[in-house]
Amino acid sequence: MDNILEVIGVSKHYTGHKALDDVSISIAPGTVYGLLGPNGAGKTTLIRIINHITAPDSGTVMFDGHTLTADDVSQIGYLPEERGLYKKMKVGEQAIFFARLKGLSKADATTQLKRWFDKFGISDWWDKKIEELSKGMAQKVQFIVTVLHRPKLLIFDEPFSGFDPINANLLKQEILQLRDEGSTIIFSTHNMGSVEEICSDITLINKGKNILTGNVDELRHRFSDGRCSLTFTGDPRLLMERLQPMSSEFFLDEPKGAEQRLELKLAPEVKLRDVIAAANEATDLIEVGRVMASMNDIFIKTVKQTENND
Amino acid sequence: MANNISLVIRREFLERVKKKSFIITTILMPVFMLAMMAAPALIMMVTGSEERGITVIDETGTIGARLQSDKETHFTLLESTPLDSALADTEVAGVLYIPAGIMDGKVSPRLYTNGSSSIALENNVSSQIDGIIEEERLKQYDIENLDKILEEVHSDVKLMSIRNDKEDGESQSASAAVSYLIGIILTFLLYMCLLLYGQMVMTSIIEEKNNRVLEIVVSSVKPTHLMLGKICGIGLVAVTQILIWGVLIAAMSAFVLPAIIPDTALTEMSALNAGTLDATSASMDVEILQAMSLMSNVGYILQLFGLLILFLIGGFLLYAAIYAAIGSAVDNIQDASQLQSFVIFPIIIGIIFGMTAASDASSPAAIWTSFIPFTSPMVMMARVPSGIPMWEIGLSLAILYASFLLMVWIAAKIYRVGIFMYGKKPSIKDLIRWARYK
Repeated sequence: MDNILEVIGVSKHYTGHKALDDVSISIAPGTVYGLLGPNGAGKTTLIRIINHITAPDSGTVMFDGHTLTADDVSQIGYLPEERGLYKKMKVGEQAIFFARLKGLSKADATTQLKRWFDKFGISDWWDKKIEELSKGMAQKVQFIVTVLHRPKLLIFDEPFSGFDPINANLLKQEILQLRDEGSTIIFSTHNMGSVEEICSDITLINKGKNILTGNVDELRHRFSDGRCSLTFTGDPRLLMERLQPMSSEFFLDEPKGAEQRLELKLAPEVKLRDVIAAANEATDLIEVGRVMASMNDIFIKTVKQTENND
Repeated sequence: MANNISLVIRREFLERVKKKSFIITTILMPVFMLAMMAAPALIMMVTGSEERGITVIDETGTIGARLQSDKETHFTLLESTPLDSALADTEVAGVLYIPAGIMDGKVSPRLYTNGSSSIALENNVSSQIDGIIEEERLKQYDIENLDKILEEVHSDVKLMSIRNDKEDGESQSASAAVSYLIGIILTFLLYMCLLLYGQMVMTSIIEEKNNRVLEIVVSSVKPTHLMLGKICGIGLVAVTQILIWGVLIAAMSAFVLPAIIPDTALTEMSALNAGTLDATSASMDVEILQAMSLMSNVGYILQLFGLLILFLIGGFLLYAAIYAAIGSAVDNIQDASQLQSFVIFPIIIGIIFGMTAASDASSPAAIWTSFIPFTSPMVMMARVPSGIPMWEIGLSLAILYASFLLMVWIAAKIYRVGIFMYGKKPSIKDLIRWARYK
């Protein structure tokens, strides 16, 4: 199946700096795609270009197999990081207004909205003004407004900020369900934990350049640098002594009862098999595992690397 | 996409028209204006003005006794009191000293006041003294039947000013005073609308930018369309308000006025319009008759409001575009104040020229400023009641509408860039640079 979104060699200049420099990304349908990067990296500019709010200086954006046009925005839903709704407008009226902007008829919008409001348990807010709601409540309304027209492509910029853990979880489930129903999701965040949880692929942008792209699991393997972990009972000093020739770094966790966990970075050419054999002699092994790099580490490492190259 | 503009217009319009404040101002404004006009008279009626006591020291012996006291001024003649001792009494409002040589016109009377004087008082005193002196001097000629002669000689013309260059059959007679009044009212109405509704466009854009709702809206509507929608929506609110007032006044002139104007006045009004009225025999002042005749002419009122709306639309779109550009460029109202002078300044110049144009519609300044788009709406509306050629109105409208198209085009370019700029307070230089972006 074709990619739902192809950004090909997009550049955008503002006076004084390059917001985007030859950025390309491809997003397969039905996935959650992480768009990561430090503050001011150019993510918002890229999102605005995808939303057809601003035009790129060069490069093209293909949506669903054709060049992105103004009409495609009805197939896109965008939840910006900085939330906002009309304060003086009633919740229901406002939601209908935004739904109609996306091309829904008034009747369709009303029935769909009622369903979502029921689902989120906020039906009695219909006639309230936004200014009467708390921040979190308004965010729920905004989420509904974003997804109501069942867009093919959803762009969430920090969707969980401002939500308590219960509501954040509710939102996560809804996002995953939207994905399962066929929507493609671009997920922009600084919360790397949630990237590991829900993204299948990511692109990392820094200073307007695409510095890392790939599948989340593959990246986490690649960046693990041959690290593995051993859970054992016995004397950790003896174990580390035995493993000294094979590993350059040791990270020993605090013991949990009799068990203790040791993380080690294997030198190249060292086989896991030999590690297990050596460890088995020194202690009683309980568990052996490969350590995946956290997205947090990958983020920091990659960004720092490119900064040093400059 | 065009559908989205109409959605934005609808939202902007309904949000404002449904507000209580709109309904209240629409109803209260005419009441308020009537009250403003009636207020001075009412206040006079209720409070009355305090009687001023004036002590008169008269060395001529003839004038002092003949000064007429009225509700406001009470003259007390003090016989054989020197001026100095009269001046010692500071309880009275003033002391009028009439020197002996006044009959020969060699010396002037003097009014010593305790506290402030007033123009009315001074006029009253000098005109009374003038009258008495003139009478005395006439008497010295010893003319027989002087009073009768004077009465026959006395003249008080009532000038009827009728437009000669009007093409339409019914020549609407409007005196300069009546045109002046209507012109001033129309100019002020337009001035208020431009300022209030223009600022509404600006604050609404700043608010959208501030609470970031803009980001969502522009993901569905092109920024330019959003700006146009907003300007049109708010413009419609202004037009609606003027329409309501127009209909109210037209209804009043069609149904209420004929019912309350006395029959004699009605026949006199029709005589006035036919040009056969004999002003000296009229039961009331000709200018009041003319004003009433204009007010009860529904066609005339509708024509005035029609033009008012045309100029309102043109002027509003022109100014709203500038307001929109300013609103898009700043983050909050405080930052806007400096840039706002670019709008307020021409509007104020407009109202100043409008006021002079109301008093003389064919002065060169009035004619020129009624073609310059920034001042033309206000100046033209001030000139219209005086009856000016249609081609002037047409040309002025054409220039105005062409310039608003240009201004909207420039404003859209600034708006497009400005709405995404946060932080730094932009200068006029920045705005010009943004307008040049491709």
